[in-house]
Amino acid sequence: MDSDVLVRVKNLQTFFYQNGRCNKAVNGVSFDIKRGKTLCVVGESGCGKSVTASSIMQLLPELSRIEKGSEITYFSEKGEIRIDQQKRNGKVMRSLRGSEFAMVFQDPMTSLNPVYTIGYQLAENLQYHTPLNRKERKKRSVGLLRDMGIPLPEERVDEYPHQFSGGMRQRAMIAMAMACNPKVLIADEPTTALDVTIQAQVFDLIMKLKKDRNTAIMLITHDMGVVSELADDVVVMYMGNVVEAGTLEDVFRSPSHPYTVALLRSIPILGKGRDQDINPIRGVTPDPYDRPSGCQFAPRCDFFKEGVCDKCMPDATSLSKTHSVRCWKFVGGSGYGN
Amino acid sequence: MFAYTIRRFLTLIPMILIMTFLIFLGMDLTPGDAVSFMASPEAMANMSQAQLAQLRESLGLNDPFFMRYLTWLGGVLHGDFGYSLTSGVPIKDIVLSRIPATLELSVAALLISTFLGTILGLVSAVRKGRPVDHILTITGMIGVSIPEFFLGLVALLLFAINLNWFPIGGRLRPEYTVYWDHMKNLILPALVLGVTMTAGVMRYTRSSMLDTINKDYIKTARSKGLPEWRINLVHGFRVALTPVVVLIGFRLPILIGGSVVIEQIFQWPGVGNEFLGAVRSQNYPLVMMIALFSVFAVLIASFIIDLLTAALDPRVQLD
Ligand SMILES: Nc1ncnc2c1ncn2[C@@H]1O[C@H](COP(=O)(O)OP(=O)(O)OP(=O)(O)O)[C@@H](O)[C@H]1O
Ligand SMILES: [Mg+2]
Repeated sequence: MDSDVLVRVKNLQTFFYQNGRCNKAVNGVSFDIKRGKTLCVVGESGCGKSVTASSIMQLLPELSRIEKGSEITYFSEKGEIRIDQQKRNGKVMRSLRGSEFAMVFQDPMTSLNPVYTIGYQLAENLQYHTPLNRKERKKRSVGLLRDMGIPLPEERVDEYPHQFSGGMRQRAMIAMAMACNPKVLIADEPTTALDVTIQAQVFDLIMKLKKDRNTAIMLITHDMGVVSELADDVVVMYMGNVVEAGTLEDVFRSPSHPYTVALLRSIPILGKGRDQDINPIRGVTPDPYDRPSGCQFAPRCDFFKEGVCDKCMPDATSLSKTHSVRCWKFVGGSGYGN
Repeated sequence: MFAYTIRRFLTLIPMILIMTFLIFLGMDLTPGDAVSFMASPEAMANMSQAQLAQLRESLGLNDPFFMRYLTWLGGVLHGDFGYSLTSGVPIKDIVLSRIPATLELSVAALLISTFLGTILGLVSAVRKGRPVDHILTITGMIGVSIPEFFLGLVALLLFAINLNWFPIGGRLRPEYTVYWDHMKNLILPALVLGVTMTAGVMRYTRSSMLDTINKDYIKTARSKGLPEWRINLVHGFRVALTPVVVLIGFRLPILIGGSVVIEQIFQWPGVGNEFLGAVRSQNYPLVMMIALFSVFAVLIASFIIDLLTAALDPRVQLD
């Protein structure tokens, strides 16, 4: 057991049950969040990134549940905690959320309560996880806003969310998330709703916090440029599975899964100039209720091989100590022909 | 907030002018001699035709319509609402004598429906899909669809006539000496009126609350590790309450206008009952004046609602 693993997700299965049908939104996902490191999760819309993040926080919507056989282990200072076995809004989860685990959401316009001041919502976090009294909480809130680079924090702390700009709100959200110095910060597309210049500022802020406070970060994003700059580790997801995982180096220098290759080719990278080849991935994402029987990517894969790829999803194959991929191409003796 | 209040108050003026104008127009169009409700009956009793004509002239009844409206409006603003056609009593006195009874009944019913409605609605929303919710939803649906006269009659039959728990109707009796004596007369009509209003408030609170607890900021609150009660009450209910306050506010006019049906069934001597009597005896001036009071009540209520909404929701623009 590496001592630098903070959260271990193993064979996570989170299914949605709706209208008598089952959507295997996350179907056997494994990865580690390492102490003080940044893990980036990429993949196209609907592949289960947010559901994975919500599973770790046990913040799933009503009609979904973490299935038996899944393991989410948090290696806290006081010992291991099996998050998947906790009651959703039970005591353990409540004490972890906001103090050890914190989350920043996509849309800062809707993720703050419109009828309470920023200061109130910040102090609420402190009220439940620190012994501070009302006055100290207020002081700490102001300090947090200042740390996030919000000008005039003494005044802004008493303002309402609608008086903040989008970027400011996201900073306030981050302040709230960081209020109790969490060990893990989960950021689900934290800048998608912001304009480009603000995006860079928010990422700078997150990275600064990571460095100063040694917070582990799980960052969900669509922006490969961001991944290449911030990530230590990368997880590539497709249709509820991790298809490739490794260090930034592994995944970006030697992408192995056909989906990763296609993904990297399909996205323009900022600063690479206008002459880069952009090849969208052919085909469309399958209906989540009617998934392919074999490898999930098979119907869109250029390397599809009948009789192999359409049978079942392959297990993960280790390419190196850090790099793994789920593709029949790399499974020895699979009949794939290598 | 102060400036907002003033500004909002000023917008009442044109509305009041329009409403009073319409009511005056209505009165002008109804049959009958206007002089009969503008002068007291004693003054009119021994007058010759010539004197009456002179009185008409001096009251300005021969003036053009618009001038008459202004004269009348001036009177209304000074508290001169004219005289009842049937009894000759000043309308102001009639209405004022009826208002305490109406206020009593309406305040009780409003309190009952507000407390019951919001609390049951909250419970129903938080326990969505559970047995409690189903029971409340079905009861609420029945409550909304039962006409109040039916519920009133059933309650009267059951609790007053068969079980004899409450008096059959009326408000004050000669043997009542202290104020609290007539509370047993109040309970039944207040409960019936309150319960009929509860269903609506409950349904509305439930849907508003369900709307709110699906919002992103509820997930944020949960991600901070707050206890469920705090998420539901402080983050959910507090926001869900704003539209409910508006709904309740729109019922404030019954504080003045009274509930015609319930007051009639329980022989409650309030404004609503008086209104019905006035309509029956074709006492148009009284009908119009009660309408005027109700209009005032509606305007004032909407004014209060706006202030409350502004106080409850910081996003409402105050400037
Ligand atoms: N509240 C929900 N109710 C029903 N199904 C849901 C819900 N949330 C997610 N899903 C389903 O779970 C699957 C994964 O969704 P998820 O939100 O995790 O995608 P994502 O990778 O975060 O996509 P995006 O990049 O668009 O945010 C999808 O098939 C989606 O339909
Ligand atoms: Mg998402």
